[in-house]
Amino acid sequence: MSLPACILLVDDDQTTNYLNRLLLKRLAIADELLVAQNGLEALEVLRTHRPQSESGAPVLVFLDVKMPVMDGFEFLQAYEQLPAADKAQTVIVMLTTSLHPHDVERMQQLNIGGFLNKPLTKEKVDAVLQRHFPQPVSAD
Amino acid sequence: MTEHAPRPAADLARENEELRHRLQEAEELITAIRTGTIDALAVQAPEGPRIFTLEGADQSYRDLIEQMNEGALLLSQNDTVLYCNACLAGLLKAPLETMMGASFRDFVPADYLGYWQDLLTTGWAGKSKGEMPLLALDGQQRPVAVALNVLLFNQTPVLAIIITDVSEQREINAIRARVSEQNALLERQQETLRTQALAQRAAEQTAAETSRILEGIPHIAWTANPAGRNTYLNHRWFEYTGHDSHSDSAHSFSALIHPDDLPAAVQRWQECIGSGEALEIECRIRSASGDYRWMLGRALPSRNEQGDIIQWIGAYTDIHEHKMAQQRVAETQQQLRASNEQLLRINRDLDNFIYTASHDLKAPINNIEGLLAALLAELPAELMAGPAVEPLVGMMQDSVDRFKRTIEHLTEVTRLQKEHEQPPVLVELAPVVQAVRLDLTPLLEAAGAELEVDVARCGPVRISEKNLRSVVYNLLSNALKYRHPDRPPRVRVRCRASDEYQVLTVEDNGLGLQVAGNAKLFAMFQRFHDHVEGSGIGLYMVKRIMENAGGRVDVESTVGAGSIFSVYFRR
Repeated sequence: MSLPACILLVDDDQTTNYLNRLLLKRLAIADELLVAQNGLEALEVLRTHRPQSESGAPVLVFLDVKMPVMDGFEFLQAYEQLPAADKAQTVIVMLTTSLHPHDVERMQQLNIGGFLNKPLTKEKVDAVLQRHFPQPVSAD
Repeated sequence: MTEHAPRPAADLARENEELRHRLQEAEELITAIRTGTIDALAVQAPEGPRIFTLEGADQSYRDLIEQMNEGALLLSQNDTVLYCNACLAGLLKAPLETMMGASFRDFVPADYLGYWQDLLTTGWAGKSKGEMPLLALDGQQRPVAVALNVLLFNQTPVLAIIITDVSEQREINAIRARVSEQNALLERQQETLRTQALAQRAAEQTAAETSRILEGIPHIAWTANPAGRNTYLNHRWFEYTGHDSHSDSAHSFSALIHPDDLPAAVQRWQECIGSGEALEIECRIRSASGDYRWMLGRALPSRNEQGDIIQWIGAYTDIHEHKMAQQRVAETQQQLRASNEQLLRINRDLDNFIYTASHDLKAPINNIEGLLAALLAELPAELMAGPAVEPLVGMMQDSVDRFKRTIEHLTEVTRLQKEHEQPPVLVELAPVVQAVRLDLTPLLEAAGAELEVDVARCGPVRISEKNLRSVVYNLLSNALKYRHPDRPPRVRVRCRASDEYQVLTVEDNGLGLQVAGNAKLFAMFQRFHDHVEGSGIGLYMVKRIMENAGGRVDVESTVGAGSIFSVYFRR
């Protein structure tokens, strides 16, 4: 596939979401940028943006770890329960500031596309794209 | 007057009477001889047998011979029995009246005839003695001793034979033997009794001695029967409890043990009685003054040769002071444990706080940094070119970087705490120092530093490799960081060993510092030199690492001359 059509940002920090949106917009790598403020909202977004729906499912999710209502780990547990077909083309990357060994260990055991230290930068996004969407990306 | 004067009738009557008397006498004699009531001698004379009574023999001798318990026998030269007393007749089971005139050879067993003939021959020559059996009419042979003597009776030689029944003699001998045996037995029994008496005396002495010891020892001593019932208590018990010796000791035992200790004590005692295990309990026992004192009660079963318990022997020892001291120690330890736990909890909370804080601080500082960049991108070019903006932006970026670095260091400190939980191993110094040296190569070269390493003299040190590397890194980088501006840094890394520690020293010729603030030096975020870029975390980390490993860190320093840092690894 080519560039990710739709990217979902999940973070309770509005400023972070703003900056990440700005970064991704500048990189112009997505047709659509969705934002959720916690895991529960993210699940809701995924329910309304399924592969067969008009807008299509997000192909890349940047997921914060610490969030109110439903945190990143809880979200992943709930995500596991979704139909396989809904998840087939979605890559989840965790974004964290936590260096707590316990958290790191948990993340390493997860079946996800990777985890990155905040803040999200152009270099980090490029690395994710190269790994999961291998096609030369031309940033503007 | 005539010649043949008729004999007076009175004379005739008298003569007649005399003759009748003599006849009666003769008749009586014959009857007596026939019945064997009296002795007679039947002597074969040429004119026919003549019967002689033992005329002239003293009546008392005759009685003696008749009544004596030996057989008496008179034999004629042709072996005919002239006389035989009742004893001999009895021995031979022959009626007395048949004996007189019988041949004595009939009573000699055939195989003893030769022997008998020898005895007779010697006897007729004077005297002889022997032992032989005689054949009684009942067919039994009786062992006898025979003594033969020649006597003269009315100028006729006869052989007088005394026959002793030695079967009786043998019985007597047997009885004598039994008697002497019984005497010996009695003697032995008496000896045994004497020995027992001695042993008893010795035992009594031992008992007295034992009792004296039991009464004298500074412990409560007691005994109990195999069922566990108390059988003895020494004086010390009554002295301690104030009870008199007539009170029921078993009852008073349970009444005097502290109610809190009693159930366990009773249970253990019952277990021991059942199993035969040694008893060891600690319990409080009420003293005469009404106070309870801690006692150590111990008892062992005493067993007989079959291994059965015959008695329990025990003692109570006053351990009150010891126990009180122990309790104080235990209380202190409890307090220490409690405060230790509290400290650990605080440490954990602090760690979590630092993690949380660093996380919570990271997000906004990252945001500020991002927003600053976003803001700069939004600013019009002419404004950006103005003289005021660039320094402002630079200072803002500096502040952001400082903030982020502080958070990083905080995180490092807590990471260190986690690593402490890993077990220490033995690590060689030289490879670690060499690795750090390689890491610092750019810095060393930039400073024109001279680094001299001599750590071969110490063996491996007890610490995790990662922590050792951190210690060496911090000390070496400090030595370079705080170098003197007037001279190139010269750093010596050396090692020495003492009994208790291995000591790694890092000596520099740098700025030096006031050692008075030693404690402050190793505190978190303390920086001594403002002009040098530093986090103030390095020495704090060194101190934490070394203390976690059971060691320590020391510094000697002269301002303007240099410092020597020494880290002590406990062996």
